[in-house]
Amino acid sequence: MNGPTVLLDPTAELAPVARALSARPPSLDGKRVGILDISKARGNVFLDRVDELLAGRGITVMRYRKPTFTRPAPAVLVQQIAAEVDLVVEGLAD
Amino acid sequence: MHDIAEFESRSIPGVGVASTEFVPAAAAQAKSLGIDPKMVFVPHPIQDRTDEELRTLAEDAVERIVEAITARS
Amino acid sequence: MPSLPDGLVVVAKRECPTCTLVEPLLAELTADGTPVTVYVQDDPAFGRGATRVVDDTRLEHSFALDVEIVPTLIRVEDGREVERTYGWHRGDWQRISGRAGLGAALPEVRPGCGSLTLEPGVAETLAVRFGRAKFASRAVEIGAAEDPEEACFARGWSDGLPVIPPTRERVLRMLSGTTRDPGEIIGMVPPDLAPCTVEKVAINAVMAGCKPEYLPVVLAAVEAALIDEFGMHGILCTTMFCGPLVVVNGPIAQAIGMNSGVNALGQGNRANATIGRALQLVIRNVGGGRPGEVDRSALGTPGKYTFCFAEAEHPQWNPLSVERGFARGTNTVTLFAGEGVQGIVDQKSRTPESLARTFALCMRAVDHPKLAMAGDALLVVSPEHSRVFFDAGWSKARLLEELTALLQLPGDEMVVGAGGIAEGLPLSMKGTRVPKFRPGGIQIVRAGGSAGLFSAVIAGWAASGPVGSTPVTKEITT
Repeated sequence: MNGPTVLLDPTAELAPVARALSARPPSLDGKRVGILDISKARGNVFLDRVDELLAGRGITVMRYRKPTFTRPAPAVLVQQIAAEVDLVVEGLAD
Repeated sequence: MHDIAEFESRSIPGVGVASTEFVPAAAAQAKSLGIDPKMVFVPHPIQDRTDEELRTLAEDAVERIVEAITARS
Repeated sequence: MPSLPDGLVVVAKRECPTCTLVEPLLAELTADGTPVTVYVQDDPAFGRGATRVVDDTRLEHSFALDVEIVPTLIRVEDGREVERTYGWHRGDWQRISGRAGLGAALPEVRPGCGSLTLEPGVAETLAVRFGRAKFASRAVEIGAAEDPEEACFARGWSDGLPVIPPTRERVLRMLSGTTRDPGEIIGMVPPDLAPCTVEKVAINAVMAGCKPEYLPVVLAAVEAALIDEFGMHGILCTTMFCGPLVVVNGPIAQAIGMNSGVNALGQGNRANATIGRALQLVIRNVGGGRPGEVDRSALGTPGKYTFCFAEAEHPQWNPLSVERGFARGTNTVTLFAGEGVQGIVDQKSRTPESLARTFALCMRAVDHPKLAMAGDALLVVSPEHSRVFFDAGWSKARLLEELTALLQLPGDEMVVGAGGIAEGLPLSMKGTRVPKFRPGGIQIVRAGGSAGLFSAVIAGWAASGPVGSTPVTKEITT
């Protein structure tokens, strides 16, 4: 077929077509934030500062690093992060 | 962005941080992934900056990062 | 439709021997200056001698011209078709082209071949490609990097198992399984009470994996589920187990290849599996009934993926459809708010009395042996067990009568506290005989493989009857 794949909506169309993002919590209070470093050079300096700023507000921050920025994070790392945090910040892509 | 999309699918709100160079690529990827994850962009360049400059970028970005993963945005 | 080029139009495909036969005539036809346009469906090198050869491998022109057989010859004047013929018939070609003596050396008549526009599956693809197919449902564009299969999961359309991505071609093909208008509203699906059209059912039937010929059964099942007394909203919201179970009666079952025999309640048969699943997907996607949201079932049951089978009808027993008031031979679906399958093993009973006692004793366990007048029961009698009744001349009605009598239970055993069990009936029932099931609360069907002295009881929702769900039967129409 030419062009993008088009599917017909099987739902009652009460929600917008665009896939919704996960529901956000009202604030970071009591939440664990995971910082995932994509391993591009210099990104760690930026992320370290974000870590300090969030920790300074009393937020629990956990740090992770993926092996290479050229591929999606490995499944085992994704599972670990998903089990250990409530929210994720990933960077720094340039 | 793939990673953030993956976390979103596991009900973990996420935000990607990238330099402004990434803006058009991010838009294209969102279209091709079928999902538009939250992104925070910081001014290019990254590699050439001093540590102090990078820390300043982080201070400037942190509020937007928090907004992207809480219900305030 | 763009206007046709004046002169003569020929639609052909190289693969067709008759087209190859008439190819030399093209030069003859242009000899007097008549413009001849050839639309070729496969090989653009075909058509030497014509004024113009158009590559119609995309079949856009063949489709617009409604060509069924090639070669087709059309005379066009002022942009409009005047006359056409297909295949090779010397007289027709001579008349339409106005050239006496055309093809004198050829045999008088040769049949043509099927146009590529009519290859199986192509018609729907073309209808979508050239904008003839109109859908009311929203089009959802899948990202270039998305696998359509994953996209369906990601959008929450799946019941946990893969679904067939509902492309427009597939939905169009599915809609050919019914004569009903795609825009017809079947009803409002709970819990969201969103209107459900034939088109929406077709989309979910595609996702379930149905063939177009199953669609009338799916439509009847959805309509039945929406009948008020079936109580679909309650079935969905309950913390109890049930889901809608579909029993099919009538010749349609065999016509579409349903299973009423070996493993009838299990997996492996496409019609059984996908018809039940399509109903569940409609409820999920159109109605918005999803586990963890409105669907709060504590445990659920695997039958909520799909639970559909055909009754193994036998001349000596009325099919369920007849029991439910329809003429024998009518195609029907009967919906029952069913839980799981509880096996009944009885390999020794040779008399109907003994076997009926087995059934009754096992049926006491519906909900709880000490509860009554709560859930209905669907008794599935296997062929070997049914033969015990046939040999004794017992109809379903006779068996039902026996079961009803046997299931008048001693209240003393069933009241709260009896047997050291807190659960049970109110103390006021002490000293009375309590019917296990409400009047009309037992349905009997015959199904299963021919080897096995095993039957089954499927419990109904504990809120059976007017308080919750009553079984419903609907005729299947095309």
